Amino acid sequence: MESYLVYLAYAVAAIGSAAVYAALPRDGVAPRKSFLVPMLGLTIGGVVVLLDKFTGDAAKTWYSVLLVVLSLGGAVRVVTHPKPVYSALYFVMVVLSTAALMVVCGAEFLGAALVVVYAGAILVTYVFVIMLAQQSHLGTEAQFSMMVDYDRSSREPFAAVAAGFVLVATVAGVIAGRGASAANPVPPPVEGNTMALGRVLLTDFAISVELAGVLLMVAMIGAIAIARRRFPKSEETAAYQPGEIGRHVKPF
Amino acid sequence: MGGIQVGNLCHNVGSAARTMMDTMDAIRNILADQFWFSIVLGLVVFGGIQGAVAYAILLERKISAWTQDRYGPNRVGPYGILQPIADGLKFFLKEDIIPANVDKALFIFAPWMIFVVALVGFAVIPWGGSFKWGWMEATAKPMVVQVASVDIGLLYIVAVSSLSVYGVVLGGWASNNKYSFYGAIRAAAQMLSYEVPMGMCLMAAILMTGSLRLEEMVDWQARHGWAVMYHPIAALVLFITALAEANRMPFDLAESEQELIGGYHTEYSALKLALFFLAEYSHMITSSAMMICIFFGGYLVPGWEWLNTTPTFGAALVRVAVFAFKIFLFICLYMLIRWTIPRFRFDQLMRLAWKGLVPMTMTLVAAQGLVLYMGWSQWTTTAVNIGVFLFGGFVSVAGGKAVTGRQLSLRRAEAMG
Repeated sequence: MESYLVYLAYAVAAIGSAAVYAALPRDGVAPRKSFLVPMLGLTIGGVVVLLDKFTGDAAKTWYSVLLVVLSLGGAVRVVTHPKPVYSALYFVMVVLSTAALMVVCGAEFLGAALVVVYAGAILVTYVFVIMLAQQSHLGTEAQFSMMVDYDRSSREPFAAVAAGFVLVATVAGVIAGRGASAANPVPPPVEGNTMALGRVLLTDFAISVELAGVLLMVAMIGAIAIARRRFPKSEETAAYQPGEIGRHVKPF
Repeated sequence: MGGIQVGNLCHNVGSAARTMMDTMDAIRNILADQFWFSIVLGLVVFGGIQGAVAYAILLERKISAWTQDRYGPNRVGPYGILQPIADGLKFFLKEDIIPANVDKALFIFAPWMIFVVALVGFAVIPWGGSFKWGWMEATAKPMVVQVASVDIGLLYIVAVSSLSVYGVVLGGWASNNKYSFYGAIRAAAQMLSYEVPMGMCLMAAILMTGSLRLEEMVDWQARHGWAVMYHPIAALVLFITALAEANRMPFDLAESEQELIGGYHTEYSALKLALFFLAEYSHMITSSAMMICIFFGGYLVPGWEWLNTTPTFGAALVRVAVFAFKIFLFICLYMLIRWTIPRFRFDQLMRLAWKGLVPMTMTLVAAQGLVLYMGWSQWTTTAVNIGVFLFGGFVSVAGGKAVTGRQLSLRRAEAMG
């Protein structure tokens, strides 16, 4: 009966993809703002309509609409900004506004965990690596032509946007097709969301949690094994020749 | 005619008095509503912190002077107590230089980022328990002296403080200066490393008190005594990591003046430089408040049960004063350490975190979990803490490799000269 909502979701995803395609950086071609701005407006309007149909009262406030706009706009800038450091910072903005949306929906623990893990740890290392790779004076507008070509223009913009469209349209279509069930969320547990989440994770999903922990441990040991510098015992006391480092080092 | 005038006057006075009564009632209603009270409290806390930070800088200069057998600033006002105002004016009036080759947007953004992040952490600190206004009914819900009482209090502080590294890193990178960039790199590595033992200490405390809310942790300590008695080493490690997270002295490699000329804020001047300082001192106050809530009883005074439970505004004020006094003691400790202990070398810093603090705090978390599972007395963890301390001391003495030693994996690289 409400199948038009599924098509609305597809249409929003399609318009959004077109806008992203127009906004992706190309060599020397500036994004056409007269085309881009109405497209982004349409996308955001469609998202707001969808939100209105499918979410509870918590998501119908002005600040949740603002957070949705911030996270979507930030996400577009992550892929379209020519300077990698700014891209990473927009990613931080996406993470923060998504965490705020989670808090609005009553999932405080998930929001805080998202900030700690993504904004606080993973993206710091991103920013760290990007900064090591690129000095800031290369990023000013006047020196656009001095930038390396993978920053100036995007590779395979059409294929990337098409893949993104399929992903977003599938998820949005499924949610839209599910109808109003999402509008009636389970009432929050008496003991508080955080405590309930902890209880569920360590009783019903105990094995999964342990497996995830073991997986992280293995990954950490692997990283240490790869990154560690080794020097054969015989070389430990020998005099060092310039340029020698790394030549006699066997990985295992 | 005179009579009419007098009558009008009386009427005016009466309506003015009535308006005043109405206003008073309105103010009382607003103050009795937790939402508006939180907003007022947030403003008061913001102003209070700014003042406290200004005087913390004066205190730092005085303590450094007394440590080095000098007088310290004593020209502006009696004993120099107007010095912070003069400093603030100077910061306002200096020229705000933005160098030519910096990344301008990030250069301006970085100090604000670090400043805002340092301030929002105050939202979940319970400053003085709960109380009721004199005009509130006996059945009304008591007011909480806390800006936001959220379910994830401690996690919120951790999340916010994990963002503070961005200000330092972006400031250092945007300056387009090699010294600034070295400072940024050191800061990033250091803050990431010291968040791990910090999280472990907090986890031991969360397991012990069974709550993420700071106010419930304080309540737990009202029943069982200060948590520092059960986890002295966790409290010590938390203090060490707080020093590192605030970039304070033994860990101020990010701004070491002798090598990096100020590190990430080398290129900053005027108000932007002042923002970096405000953020650093605000961060000290937040982390002290957090440590006090978790391990040192918050606003509680041991043995003064009447103070901890009286639900009046006056008693709440006294509790806030007690809390502020504890924060003051912690700040003094921070400053004494700054002017006493020399800076670590970078490899020592990393080794202290990963080979010293992380295993120690992991042991404490495991011990706390075991105590909870087996239902043993909480004093067991005190024994474990002392055991960890003795074992760590034994390893560092008998192992022969003190923290001052060289890093083994660097031996050949160093020979490169």
